[in-house]
Amino acid sequence: MIAAKVEEYAFGGLVAAVGVFTLVDATTIAGRDDNVVGPRAFPYAVGILLVVTGIAAIIATARGKLGQAEDAEDVDENVRTDWLTVAKLVAVLVAHLVLIDVIGWPVAAALLFFGAAWTLGATWWRALPIAVVLALVVQVVFAYGLGLSLPAGIFEGVPFLDG
Amino acid sequence: MLMEGFATAAQPEYLLYALLGVTLGTAVGVLPGIGPAMTVALLLPLTYTLEPTAALIIFAGIYYGGMYGGSTTSILLNTPGESASIVTALEGNKMAKAGRGAAALATAAIGSFVAGTIATVLLTLLAPAIADVAVKLGPADYVALMVVAFTTVAALLGSSPVRGLASLGLGLFIGLVGTDTLTGQQRFTLGITTMADGIDVVVVAVGVFAVGEALYVASRLRHGPIEVIPVGGRWMTGEFWKRSWKPWLRGTFIGFPIGTVPAGGADVSTFLSYAAEKKLSKRPEEFGKGAIEGVAGPEAANNAAAAGVLVPLLTLGLPTTATAAVIVAAFQSYGIQPGPLLFTNNGPMVWALIASLYIGNVMLLVLNLPLVKIWVKVLQIPRPYLYAGILLFAALGTYAVNFVVDDLIVLLIIGVIGFFMRRHGYPVAPLVVGLILGPMTEEQVRRTLQISEGDLSALVTSPFAAVAYSVLAVLLVVAVALRLRRRKSEVTV
Repeated sequence: MIAAKVEEYAFGGLVAAVGVFTLVDATTIAGRDDNVVGPRAFPYAVGILLVVTGIAAIIATARGKLGQAEDAEDVDENVRTDWLTVAKLVAVLVAHLVLIDVIGWPVAAALLFFGAAWTLGATWWRALPIAVVLALVVQVVFAYGLGLSLPAGIFEGVPFLDG
Repeated sequence: MLMEGFATAAQPEYLLYALLGVTLGTAVGVLPGIGPAMTVALLLPLTYTLEPTAALIIFAGIYYGGMYGGSTTSILLNTPGESASIVTALEGNKMAKAGRGAAALATAAIGSFVAGTIATVLLTLLAPAIADVAVKLGPADYVALMVVAFTTVAALLGSSPVRGLASLGLGLFIGLVGTDTLTGQQRFTLGITTMADGIDVVVVAVGVFAVGEALYVASRLRHGPIEVIPVGGRWMTGEFWKRSWKPWLRGTFIGFPIGTVPAGGADVSTFLSYAAEKKLSKRPEEFGKGAIEGVAGPEAANNAAAAGVLVPLLTLGLPTTATAAVIVAAFQSYGIQPGPLLFTNNGPMVWALIASLYIGNVMLLVLNLPLVKIWVKVLQIPRPYLYAGILLFAALGTYAVNFVVDDLIVLLIIGVIGFFMRRHGYPVAPLVVGLILGPMTEEQVRRTLQISEGDLSALVTSPFAAVAYSVLAVLLVVAVALRLRRRKSEVTV
C-alpha cells in the first residue's frame, strides 16, 4: 500500500514536472507578440493544465483516493508486481533497438521475440525456432511483399533477405 | 451515392480488403492485450503503399471486427476484463458455464449484426445532413466542439476525472512537440533534429497501447493453463429469438445516440442497456445468473455505439474514442481531413467506406457464428508467445514509420509511461485523443483570433459555440452529481 502511494505521488509529480517544463521551455519559443496569438499561448495553457492536474492527483492520493489499477483478461489481481520481469522486457527492447543497426533487423527481431517469450515463461527450445522463423518470414515479406527493406545486417547480400 | 459506394466496395479487390479487415479485427478483438486502436496504428505504416480507400476499408473492418471479437472472449474466457465487454462477461460467462455458451455467442453475434446494420443505416441517413450543417460552422465553433470532445472524453472516461485530464494534458503536450505549423518555430524539441517533425501518432499509440499493455500484463501475468469454457447447448430455439430480439433493438437505440456524442463511448452504452434490460425483464432474478437479455442488449448497444462514433468522426472530424483518434490520423496520413467537406471532396471514397461497413457486418456474422470455433483456438495462444509477438510487431510497426532507431527509443519511453498510467488509473484514451485534437484545436483557436484581431471574446460569442460550452457545463455538473450520488449510495450500502 505504502509503495503504491509513493509511486502515485511520483507519477503525479512527473505530470506536474512535465507541466513546469512546458511552462519554462515555452518562454524560450521565439514568436511575435502583437495582438495575434503566437506559438506560445497554447503551450502555456497545456503547461497549466498539467501542473494543476498533477498537483490535484497528488492531493487526491494524499486524501486516500488512489487510482484504480486497470484490469485485463490476463492480469492476475492477486499477485504482486513482478518488477524483475518488467525490467527484463525493457532490457530486451533496449537490446533490440541497439542491435538493429549493428547486426541487422532479422537477428535483432529474433532476439526480441525469443527474449520476451522466454522471460514470460516459454520453454527456450520451443521459443527459439519460432523466433528465428518469424523474424525471417517478416524480413522476406517486407522486402518482397511490401517493397520496404529492413536492414539485413549480417545477411547483407543474401538473396531473399536483403531487399 | 450509396449505390455507387456499393458498386466500388463490391469489387473483388475491395471485398478482399474488407475481409482482411474484419478477420484481423475479430482476431484482435478475441485476443487479450491488443485492441483495434493499436492494430490500426500498427498497420498505418504498412498501408502507405495502398490507396486510401483500400486502407480505410481495412481499418473500418478492424474497427467493427474488434467489437464482435471482444464478446467471444468475455463469454468463453474464465477471467473477465476490458470494461466495454464487462457486462457481457457478467451474464454471458454465467450462461457459458451453465452449458448455454452457444446461445450466448449467438445472441451476441446476431445482436451485433442487427445493431451494426441498423446503426450503419442511421449513419448513412444522418451523416450527409450533419455535414451540410457543419459546413457553415466557423473556426470558433470548431474550437468549441473540440473542447467539448476532449473534456468529456477525459473527464467522463475512467474512474478519476483528475487522472483523465492529466492523461489528456500529456497527450496535448506530446502533440506540441515539433515545428509550429503557423510560424515554423521549433517547440519542445530539445534541440534534437528528429523531433523537429514531431512525435508520430503511430509511435505514441503503439507505445501506450502495445508496449504499455504488454509490460503491465507481464508485471502481473496470470500463469497456468488458459481456461476456456467449452461451447455447449443449442441456440436455434423459439425461446432464443423471443427473448433476444427486443433487447437487440433497445440496445441499438440506446447505443447509437451515445456513440454520436462524446460521452465515454461504448462503455456507457453497455451499462445503460444492461440496466434497462434488468428493469424491463419479467425475470429480473435471472440477472447475474445468466440472463440472455443481459448479453443481447449490451452487445447490440456496444456495436451501435461503435457506428455512432463514426458520425462525428466523418462529419466533423472529431474523434471521441482512441480508435477513432487513430483513424483520424490515418485519414490525415493520406492528406485527407475528415470533416464537413469530406462528403463533397472525397464523396466516392466515403460512400465506398460506408458501403463496406454493411458488407463487413455480413462477413462478421459469418465469421463469428458458424466459424466461432476458430476463434476459440486463437484464444488459447500461449501468453508468452502472444505478448512476445505483440512486442515484436510494436517494434516493427514503429521502426517501419521512418526506419530510424530514435523512434524506438521514444516508443520505449512512452510504453513505460503507459505502463505506469495503467497501474495508477490514468485512462490512456484521453492521451491519444488529446494528441490528435490538440494541434487541430490550436490551429482553429489561432485562426479565430487572427480573424478577430486578438479579441478573445470571439471564441464564445458565436451562438453555436456558446450553446456548446453551456452543454458542456451542464454535462459536467450532471456527471459530478451522478458521481456524488453513487458515492453516497455506496456509503449507505
